[in-house]
Amino acid sequence: MAFLRYVMIRALQNMRGNLFPNLGTIGIITITALIFSSFSLIAFNLVSFLRIWEDKIEVIAYLKKGTPAAEVEDVLGRARTLEGVESVRYFSPSDAMAFMEAKLGGQKNLLEGIQAGVLPGSLEIQLKREYRNSTRVREVALRLKQIPQFEEIQSGLEWVETFSTLVSIFQVTCWILGALLLTAMIFIISNTLQLTISSRREEIEIMQIVGASPPYIRVPFYVEGMIQGLLGAGLAIGSLFLLQRMIILYLPSSIQVWLTRVPILFLPPEMIGGILGGGMVLGFFGSFIASMRLLKYSW
Amino acid sequence: MIQMKHVFKIYPNQISALSDITIEISPGEFAYIFGPSGSGKTTLLRILFCEERPTRGEVIINGIEVTRKGFNAIHQVRRTMGVVFQEFKLLRDRTVEENIAFVLEVTGHSRREVRARVMEILEWVGLPERKDDPMYALSAGEQQRVAIARALVNDPPLLLADEPTGNLDVQMTMDVMKIFMDLHKRGTTVLFATHQEHLVRRYPFRVISLGETTGSGKTKDEEVAEA
Repeated sequence: MAFLRYVMIRALQNMRGNLFPNLGTIGIITITALIFSSFSLIAFNLVSFLRIWEDKIEVIAYLKKGTPAAEVEDVLGRARTLEGVESVRYFSPSDAMAFMEAKLGGQKNLLEGIQAGVLPGSLEIQLKREYRNSTRVREVALRLKQIPQFEEIQSGLEWVETFSTLVSIFQVTCWILGALLLTAMIFIISNTLQLTISSRREEIEIMQIVGASPPYIRVPFYVEGMIQGLLGAGLAIGSLFLLQRMIILYLPSSIQVWLTRVPILFLPPEMIGGILGGGMVLGFFGSFIASMRLLKYSW
Repeated sequence: MIQMKHVFKIYPNQISALSDITIEISPGEFAYIFGPSGSGKTTLLRILFCEERPTRGEVIINGIEVTRKGFNAIHQVRRTMGVVFQEFKLLRDRTVEENIAFVLEVTGHSRREVRARVMEILEWVGLPERKDDPMYALSAGEQQRVAIARALVNDPPLLLADEPTGNLDVQMTMDVMKIFMDLHKRGTTVLFATHQEHLVRRYPFRVISLGETTGSGKTKDEEVAEA
């Protein structure tokens, strides 16, 4: 307990003694961690958007033109019994026309003269939750294709898959960028700690002479690095939160309306914990490297 | 207390600082390491307080073969000895009391113990009234007394002194030597490196002479100077 108290006091004294280099380091760590957490936040929101999108995946099976009403009932029954299907809703050609008119709104006069029979009837098939992924959707689509009354099966899967690939590429880019930034962070912390150690060289030498144990000399520097990392990461997360609030606040109202359907999330607690913990770990490594270089024993 | 057997110290640039040194110091003994500048006195002391590893040979302190110890263990060896330097090696931004208390804080003593022991040792070196003064306010002689107090505050059985009077005038030297003599009477083993012949004559104890030039390594071990 006394040792922990000493270590904390000592680390804070060291930081106060080299205030400006420490503030500079914390500032640089904040900027570095802010860049990394911004990318993480974007990736997190894209993944969340992908999940929402995947959740809304449904299969639309278009019936062949002129399919008799009696057969439609049969097809509906067969579709409902397929594995993975939650519900099936029939859209007649006139329903489709009404939908089109609603979509076109003020420009619905474009449809004047077009017969309702031009549009095919379709089945809107909702899948069970566990089937709302690319593999299972494909399975259901294959089974639907075996029903001869269907002309075409659409699932919107291609879009989801393309978006998913883009998100994966973004995530990988994010991790590569993160690795580079975090490596830079280690060196920045290491350099500041070298400055602190150099400014206390005389004292450290005397500590060694009078029999201070290696942990007694080194641990305060490790803690100093960890505090720098923690403060930098904490400030980055705080800044990111404020930045996100401000961006949302100042977005044009048209985008804000759209955002009510696609919620913009902040980093979840486990990611915040990870970034803070990562800051501390990097701080430790930075100070460890510094102490390995400067706190060598000639013995 | 101390045994050095066939100790060599050769630096990477092939300069030989010590060559085949064999000495034995008994508990409670006062001995001079005597020789001109560059004869290896400081190197010998640096090896004894585990600041440098000998190139060859054995160094046994209080029954422990220190050359076989890793750096993680040498702080324990260092706690059994006090070291005094010619240039004092005190923390100039701290007070007399803080400089002395530093040793006890480092070795994990309680605040109460530290305060009591520091006052006791300050009385002994004759500086109790200067305890709150910063180091820069003290004369060279007073600073050396603080350095001695720091070396002795944890009551080590062995004291190594590297030219402790080298920077002091005659009166200050006498004051400091008086402390060393008192210490010897109390039973502390003292190894005192000096090039000042008048000290050896005035305070006659065993003299271990090192060679005249760096690397000569000639020792006149066991030479006893009787005044």
